[in-house]
Amino acid sequence: MRKFDIIIIGGGHNGLVAASVLSKKGNKVLVIEKNEQLGGLSNYVDSLSYISEEVLKELNIKIEKDINENYVSALSDDLNHTVLKINGNKNIEILQTNASESDQVNFIKLINKYDLFARTLRSFMFKKPPRVKSGSRSDIWQLVSMGLKVRLLGKKNMRELLRVIGLNIADDLEDNITDNILKGLLSNEAVIGTNLGARSPGSILNLLYNQATNNSIFRINKYNTNSFLNSIREICKKNNVEIETNKKVEKINISNQNVNSVLLDTGEEIQTSSIISNVDPKTTYLKLVGAANLDTDFIRRTKNYRTKGTVAKIHIDFENEIKINNLDTKYLSGKFVYAPDIKYIEHAFNDNKYNKLSSNPCLEFYINKNKLSANIYFIPYLINSAHDKKKILSNVKLILEKFVTENQILSSTIETPNDIEDKYNISGGHWSHGDMEIDQLLMMRPFYGSSQYSTPINGLYLCSAGTHPGGGVTGINGINAAKQLLKDNRNG
Amino acid sequence: MDNSFSFTKPLLETPFHERTYEACYNNDWYRWAGYKIAREYSNTELEYTAMRNTAGVLDITPMHKYDIKGADAIRFVDKLVTRNVTEIKSGQVMYIIWCNEDGNVIDDGTVFCFDSNHLRIFCAERNLNWFSDTAIGFDVEVEDVSDTIAALAFQGPLSCKILNLLNVKNIENLKPFYFDDFDLNGCKVTISRTGFSGDLGYEIWCKNEDAISVWDSLFKFNRDYKVLPAGMNALEMVRVEAGFIQPNADFMSAEQALRPNRMRNPFELGMGWLVDLNKNYFTGKKNLVDLKKKTLTKKLVGLDIQGDKPAIGSVLYDKNKKEIGIVTAGMWSPSLKSNIAFGYVDKDHMKIGSKVFAEIYHPEELEYKKIWAECSVVKKQFFNPPRRHKVPAEI
Repeated sequence: MRKFDIIIIGGGHNGLVAASVLSKKGNKVLVIEKNEQLGGLSNYVDSLSYISEEVLKELNIKIEKDINENYVSALSDDLNHTVLKINGNKNIEILQTNASESDQVNFIKLINKYDLFARTLRSFMFKKPPRVKSGSRSDIWQLVSMGLKVRLLGKKNMRELLRVIGLNIADDLEDNITDNILKGLLSNEAVIGTNLGARSPGSILNLLYNQATNNSIFRINKYNTNSFLNSIREICKKNNVEIETNKKVEKINISNQNVNSVLLDTGEEIQTSSIISNVDPKTTYLKLVGAANLDTDFIRRTKNYRTKGTVAKIHIDFENEIKINNLDTKYLSGKFVYAPDIKYIEHAFNDNKYNKLSSNPCLEFYINKNKLSANIYFIPYLINSAHDKKKILSNVKLILEKFVTENQILSSTIETPNDIEDKYNISGGHWSHGDMEIDQLLMMRPFYGSSQYSTPINGLYLCSAGTHPGGGVTGINGINAAKQLLKDNRNG
Repeated sequence: MDNSFSFTKPLLETPFHERTYEACYNNDWYRWAGYKIAREYSNTELEYTAMRNTAGVLDITPMHKYDIKGADAIRFVDKLVTRNVTEIKSGQVMYIIWCNEDGNVIDDGTVFCFDSNHLRIFCAERNLNWFSDTAIGFDVEVEDVSDTIAALAFQGPLSCKILNLLNVKNIENLKPFYFDDFDLNGCKVTISRTGFSGDLGYEIWCKNEDAISVWDSLFKFNRDYKVLPAGMNALEMVRVEAGFIQPNADFMSAEQALRPNRMRNPFELGMGWLVDLNKNYFTGKKNLVDLKKKTLTKKLVGLDIQGDKPAIGSVLYDKNKKEIGIVTAGMWSPSLKSNIAFGYVDKDHMKIGSKVFAEIYHPEELEYKKIWAECSVVKKQFFNPPRRHKVPAEI
């Protein structure tokens, strides 16, 4: 039987980051990936994404920042589109809009407010989240410093943060601006990839959280994910990490609450004393570990962990290069949002609640010459039925026809949450392996009893997006999980 | 059984209701899991005396019954409970408790093994939710069959004799904690040698439609042996004498307690003998291993109390009048001629023979008589006659 110090299940970006950290310390590491291609869901996001600077520093990776000017266009049915230009993190300029002067001023003010709060959250985004009542000195210190950071915002801002943190985005927007397009644009950032509508409590928290992990409110991408993946792969290669693709882990064998070995679908058993699972928490616990090794209360929490995906992706090939009606071609390199107002988003969300396809979905898309790739929401994950992909396409077509004329669709592919579940083995096909809501964040992520990357099983750790700080190609989950494992091994 | 909702008839009636209603002179009903069960038929002491001297019949239909069916039935129960049940044989009954992840007791009950693919759990509280969540990942179906089975407890020294007179073949050779199918006056019934009285006794499980016939059979020889229907008050007396504890009376079920420090682990309840830490993983094992190493801070013990006034709801003190615990159940035991109780005591008074004091407030004609009674800590099982375990049973 082969034997490794550490086995990493799943070759997603977090798994590879963990492998690089652990192999650097001289551990014999094996990465097992189900698919042909490494990188997992980071292949699914558009090629550019934010990668945490802490991770780049830790792994000593240098990759080029994308320095292009970024545009975000909010499309309007009356073809009076709103265009924002984004330089760096927070320098946001409104290039064209139908909104009034005061709306524009208030919009920028609002963004600056969110930016301030997001920076406060950011300071504890990249550390291991503290456990309440653990008694550990570092945990207590971190809790105190979290409180202090919030207090340092000053009385007025602290009050404002505590006021809005549980609030829905629609209320805060309606208090400050009147223009529907601007409202829809910010709401889009607050609800995409979640099970929240613009009027659902917690949507502001989600916006702030996204902003904190991505370091940008419009999730305007910074680094090339592919070159990041290539760099960590090289580190793995240099440190003799063995990577096996096209192999699936069927089961983690456990004896006396200790990790023993993993069983592959090829029938091979590989011995190890430590495992980091890059698979989502639900699949890890219910399928790989098995309920027989876990307490019923824990199983209950695993079962209740919310992982319903809501976004589908569509890739469309057009006959000619794509142009958007009534929009300058220099903005085509940016991001497009079609979420024309709060009511529209709420209606789309309403269908999601009843597990129906929304006939008027919201879109967020990028254009590359004659190719268009869009995130469509809300397309709910369906448990016992299949999606009507023709219907999804025709719904998207109806929207695109308003903006793209005199152009034929040649072909299209759609990936629904169910497809994501099948392809990447993520239960529910959720972007972040679980809703980013207040009861599933920080020390409560994924749930009580499984925080700080550890699990009830000795030697088993989690590093997927189901752990703090959640989704996005940050790499933080991988680093923190690896550090936790090393710390526990040091302490015996 | 009428399940339709109505404001005038809020409680369900058991299949025995036609008879229990006639017998219940006091019309004093107790609410048990949505059913009407007699609290006292005519006189609690009389019903108790029947159970201790001839036999008493208790309607225990509201007891929750869960069928566990599937290839993993035994593995599932083994994961659920603290005892090793992997060796259970067909026809065997085991007394079981189950805990939550913190090692606090949720409920106790019995498990009946029909065959390795079919077990049935009987318990006092509702547990379907807990069982269903425990069943995740096991090849089993958990089904609530409470309403499909009528049940009587037939407890007392003459219970075997009467069943024998009723031509229930070979009943005397049924061992304690075993069950089998029998023919009782033309009805197919399941009889187990189990019960809540701590004496020789049986529990009879039958179809709802056979209920009245089974009830009538048990009273057939009443000219010679005065068998009485017994209510919940009489049951409370015999169960305290027998040393049986009850969830939400002697301890709070971990699924229902709101205050975390009100939950109790098996060691605190004196049920450590039911916890097997060497068996496969079960819910709570991790914490029970740690708890076993720790010294207990409180424990439920039996108390033999000075005087004859029951110490119901009394506070317990040490000799320096420092509060150390409370009494959860107390009574004057007519059979033992002694004043007995269950109570929690602190770590200095757990040993058998320790002395504690109970402050008893005894109501006497509109005035409380305050009594400072010395108690000695004894085993919880006050009443345990040899006939309870004898095989073959006395006919």
